[in-house]
Amino acid sequence: MTGSAPPILELKGITKKFGSVVANDRVDFDVAAGEVHALLGENGAGKSTLMSVLYGLYTPDEGEILVDGRPVEIHSPRTAIDAGIGMVHQHFMLVRVMTVAENIVLGQEPSRWGRLDLKAARARVHELSDRYGLAVDPDARIEDITVGAEQRVEILKALYRNARILVLDEPTAVLTAQEVRELTGVLNRLKRDGAAIVFISHKLREVLDVADRITVLRRGKRVASVPRAGATEQSLARLVVGRDVVLSAAKRHGTPAEPLLAVADLHVGDERRLEKVSGVSLTVRSGEIVAIAGVDGNGQRELVDAITGMRAPASGRVRVDGREIAGQGVRAATEAGIAHIAEDRHLRGLVLPFTLAENLALREYRSPQCSARGWMRLAHLRERAGRLLSEFDVRGGGPDSYAAALSGGNQQKVAVAREIASNPKVLVAHQPTRGLDVGAIEFVHGRLIEERDKGRAILLVSLEYEEVRALADRILVIYEGRIVGEFSPDVSEEELGMAMTGGQVSRSEAVV
Amino acid sequence: MTLLEDELEGHPLGGEEESDQAALRSPARLTAFRRGSGAITVPVLTTVIAFLAGGLIVLASGHDPVSTYTSIFTGTGLNWLFPWIGGAARATAAGNLQQTLLQATPLILVGLAVAFAFRAGMFNIGGQGQYTVGGIVAVWIGSSFAGMSPVLHIAFAIVAAGLAGAAWAGIAGVLKAVTGANEVISTIMLNWIAIWLGVYCFQLGGPLQNPKMPQTPVSSNVVAGAKLPVFWGSAQLQGLDVGIFIAFALAVVFAILIKRTRFGYEARAVGFNPEAARYAGMNVGRTWVRVMLVCGAFAGVAASLDILGWKFNLYTNDIQVSQVGFYGIAVALLGRNSASGTVAAAVLFGALLTGTSDRNIHLSIDPTLVQYLTFMIEGIIIMLVATDVITLRLLKGGRRIAVALRSRPAKAARPSGHGAS
Amino acid sequence: MSVGSLTVAPPRTASPRSCGIAGVVLGALAWVITLPPIELRGMLASIVLAAIAAALGVVAVRGGQRKLGVETIIVALLAVAGAAASAKSSLATVESVFTWSALAAATLRYATPLLFGALGGVVSESGGVINVGLEGMMLMGCFWGVYGADLLGWWGWGLLVAMLAGGLLALVHGVLSIHLRANQIVSGMGVNFLALGITGYFLEYHYGPNGTPLNISQVPNVRLPLIQHVGFFGAAIGDANLLTWVGLALVPALTFFLFRMKWGLRLRSVGEKPRAADTVGLPVLRIRYTAVVVSGMLAALGGAYLSVGFVGSFSNDMTNGRGFISLAAMIFGKWRPWGALWACLLFGFGNAMSDRVSSVNPTLGTLFEALPYVLTLVAVAGLVGRSRPPESDGIPYERE
Repeated sequence: MTGSAPPILELKGITKKFGSVVANDRVDFDVAAGEVHALLGENGAGKSTLMSVLYGLYTPDEGEILVDGRPVEIHSPRTAIDAGIGMVHQHFMLVRVMTVAENIVLGQEPSRWGRLDLKAARARVHELSDRYGLAVDPDARIEDITVGAEQRVEILKALYRNARILVLDEPTAVLTAQEVRELTGVLNRLKRDGAAIVFISHKLREVLDVADRITVLRRGKRVASVPRAGATEQSLARLVVGRDVVLSAAKRHGTPAEPLLAVADLHVGDERRLEKVSGVSLTVRSGEIVAIAGVDGNGQRELVDAITGMRAPASGRVRVDGREIAGQGVRAATEAGIAHIAEDRHLRGLVLPFTLAENLALREYRSPQCSARGWMRLAHLRERAGRLLSEFDVRGGGPDSYAAALSGGNQQKVAVAREIASNPKVLVAHQPTRGLDVGAIEFVHGRLIEERDKGRAILLVSLEYEEVRALADRILVIYEGRIVGEFSPDVSEEELGMAMTGGQVSRSEAVV
Repeated sequence: MTLLEDELEGHPLGGEEESDQAALRSPARLTAFRRGSGAITVPVLTTVIAFLAGGLIVLASGHDPVSTYTSIFTGTGLNWLFPWIGGAARATAAGNLQQTLLQATPLILVGLAVAFAFRAGMFNIGGQGQYTVGGIVAVWIGSSFAGMSPVLHIAFAIVAAGLAGAAWAGIAGVLKAVTGANEVISTIMLNWIAIWLGVYCFQLGGPLQNPKMPQTPVSSNVVAGAKLPVFWGSAQLQGLDVGIFIAFALAVVFAILIKRTRFGYEARAVGFNPEAARYAGMNVGRTWVRVMLVCGAFAGVAASLDILGWKFNLYTNDIQVSQVGFYGIAVALLGRNSASGTVAAAVLFGALLTGTSDRNIHLSIDPTLVQYLTFMIEGIIIMLVATDVITLRLLKGGRRIAVALRSRPAKAARPSGHGAS
Repeated sequence: MSVGSLTVAPPRTASPRSCGIAGVVLGALAWVITLPPIELRGMLASIVLAAIAAALGVVAVRGGQRKLGVETIIVALLAVAGAAASAKSSLATVESVFTWSALAAATLRYATPLLFGALGGVVSESGGVINVGLEGMMLMGCFWGVYGADLLGWWGWGLLVAMLAGGLLALVHGVLSIHLRANQIVSGMGVNFLALGITGYFLEYHYGPNGTPLNISQVPNVRLPLIQHVGFFGAAIGDANLLTWVGLALVPALTFFLFRMKWGLRLRSVGEKPRAADTVGLPVLRIRYTAVVVSGMLAALGGAYLSVGFVGSFSNDMTNGRGFISLAAMIFGKWRPWGALWACLLFGFGNAMSDRVSSVNPTLGTLFEALPYVLTLVAVAGLVGRSRPPESDGIPYERE
């Protein structure tokens, strides 16, 4: 089924500009009933923009959309829904305090005299979930269910609205391997029922697994549309990046010396006092990168927070070069020599309305160089910022520019620059390249290796196989708050994936 | 905030709107952020538009807006600044300007009390309560210790009033830091508690009621030695005392505190993004408490300058009808939470209060009408201040596009492209 | 206090929690027994009860319920103070202050305007728009209600005019905060000033120095024929104002609307996560506008109760901060109608108490005026703690 059936959805010559930035440049795209058509491209290639246009969230500057061969005006999600389009957003559009059933029916509630008929809603949810194998509890609150279940709710939301065209935006980014397999099963059932599926991803392997056809976007332009048959990872990678890529970078190994970070039997709870880290022990030596690999939500955040002083552990020890810092707060951790590249630069890593000079001082603002007797040394901060900005190749602003004015990649460079500049013994890097483009990723990776070679101990926490294998000297796998395995960086993706999902998957199944 | 990543990479402009929003979830923080760009044009434009709108109302109710505004202006005494005004008119103008500045003095300080909290991400509605306790303490100390040396007595009263205000505001700070109590509610509650405390003190039979006037709910009078010296105009005719200089000086302190000290750096970081502040090793709760202490001190001192400068006593009724806290919020907002802006806005509001007061004999229409007209104008000013987000968005939007334009070609052409700005 | 922590946390936390709650109840009891109808003289029983309560508080603190425990101890101390006050006063004094039926009636009178304001706040903030302008909207209702009743001759028209005026002012707030994406707190403050100006200006303009006429048509009281003469109930609720009943009826009605009807679901989704509402095709901005305007109308009814309902005239700045108290009551009540009702009743009770105390001892009465605010402060700090507003409360929605 490679495009032989007539398409039920066609996008023709879609152009969308934001100011002077062209996010979509005359993009054509179509999908037929019973087909999975993948939209492949790097972050920022324009995939999400295209789908937002399709769903009526953005109005295109040029181009038209045809459903069943007839042109349609889609100017709001409402009209998109009416045209039979359903969207599973990458970041779920669910109301956390409401139940699964309430979320699914929202906007098209079964009701009598305006009174919600929750019984009817529940029944409909059950019917749909049985038919497609999407197990959910209609009465559970969204805030209490897993990420995988949230995604099932999103799919049910679309099906409840009789979607014939289902758009999934990066659906596997948050799923465990097990859940990805379940999702594939669901998609197959939907296909058999004649649904048209648009599958957005930046992961080559995954696209080859599920798609019938693959369209590649690069910098807002459609560069190719190829059938699944005959496509390889190499050929797709070339299309995505626009040049030949070496999928695994060659690297030198570190030369580990004395241990600088020693964590022993650490137990950490989350906001609701549920134990998220259950007895983790690990050691990171000078000149070594140790990676914590795992699926999101297995205790990484709590572990990092406890090590960096953001959160007091329930029990256990954290020693930096012999000095105990567990539960003593961020300042003690900083003074002991810990630096922390935060997972989320907007939430924690940067103060967006601060200038770059002010942002670059956040880690060390109490040091005698930055402030003396309660006074900030502004001239010094500015001079220091200028130095760091050029050393770390931050573009788009000087010491007095606001952090908010920089692009994401440059913001991340500022955060990385600050942490490295504090000359730490231990650098905790939590998803240091999240959301960055290839160039910025290369820069951050190169810098981390450089710092390792200067003798720092680096703890890398990442969700990306590629990153973990490219950087780590040792890989520790975390699963449900426990370290369940240690691997060398040449471990196969299958083996690593199996460990990350608790080893429940048998080896033959893991190789999809 | 994973939402941001994707959006940001996909289309920088759309994405950054989101990112600003995330960093500024608290409304108080939003006002803090709006400081900076368009610092002078926007407030001035705002004020002009508000006066035009007010003029329409005057016109609609059958009066002549030009003559009304002219007489209000004359009433403020700002015409004293015109060198061609002479003779008796000049003397009147001087008297009026003295009143305007007397009104502006507490507004500067209460405005600073609100502004400082805003800068740290808090909404201090409690200026009224902090002012009230400051007033109680100031009148108590000012009317006692008759034999004390004047300088010492005045300093003692002012410092004590500042400490009282600080303590009062500190309650809200501590509650927020320790239990997470919303400072908006707690400061509103503290306002009312302070007001009733004040009424209790000075009512008939109250502990601080003037024993020489048993039938009047008023405090004792401030002794002669504790009165602030009048340096312009006659002390008998409520001339201008040196309190205004103390207010100016504290505005300078405010600016230095915010811009140059470690405490100010911490306060602003906490205000913009408490999570990032925590990540940087700051003690967010302690910063909140310290900020509130400073705010309360500003408001407390404001009250002492009123008491020692020209009020000299406190009626229970004064306490109940005072709206200085309310004005302080408006002043801080119009002044965009900066020191100079707050001073300018306070003078403007002081002028409006004086120009429309009953004692302004120039008014061609009912002074009461004009007073309420002033409220409307103030309301419109504040509403426009609220919406100047739009103006700012435009400014910012322009800048972003410029940045985008510059960075695109730069990426290809230059090896290292950090600006030196 | 979240449901989550109750269901998820291990059972060991349940027991100190219940200790704390039991302590609060016992502490309150220590004072209540000295009041009519029990009127236990002497303080022994009270002290014993309060001591037990305090001990329970200590247990709660030890068990990890720090805030609740401290709260319990404070309640116990207050109870001892209250008991001491009762014991020192003569029986006649105690009885004249604690005429429960009169207290209840006065509580309802004081609570009514606050309740309308607080419910208005609930509506607006459920939809994600912070409404600091409640004070101004109330004030609008207060003046224009009198104006309407005076001009059109019937209180019903007065209420209608009041709601129109309040709704109109709310619309201004809506345009600023929804469409122009203004800072909602600042916009609300602006609206308050505007209302103060408008009402004062038109009062002066229409009625001059003599004020509003004295003979306007007022909202009637509802005489309940069956229980009007039945002891406590007769005096407490046998002759309450129509608007009081309307306000009380609105509490379950609004609860039903918000949590059982589809429009309530939509409103809350817009307040929690407008993007989610948008992506299922709901008109986010229109829903928010409606919520804000309805909120203004409700607040205006509260204001109209003061003027058209209770006093029969209007004076400048008549609401005198009640809108802000409503706002506090709404937050205190955790953004829910029932919670708001309890909070309003607490404020009303404080006012009623101070009235009664004033009649016996004016000096002390003044201090009692501050009581509801002190209680709120203590409660906000302790029992309520970090309550959770709608997730997107105060954040303007924009799609692009």
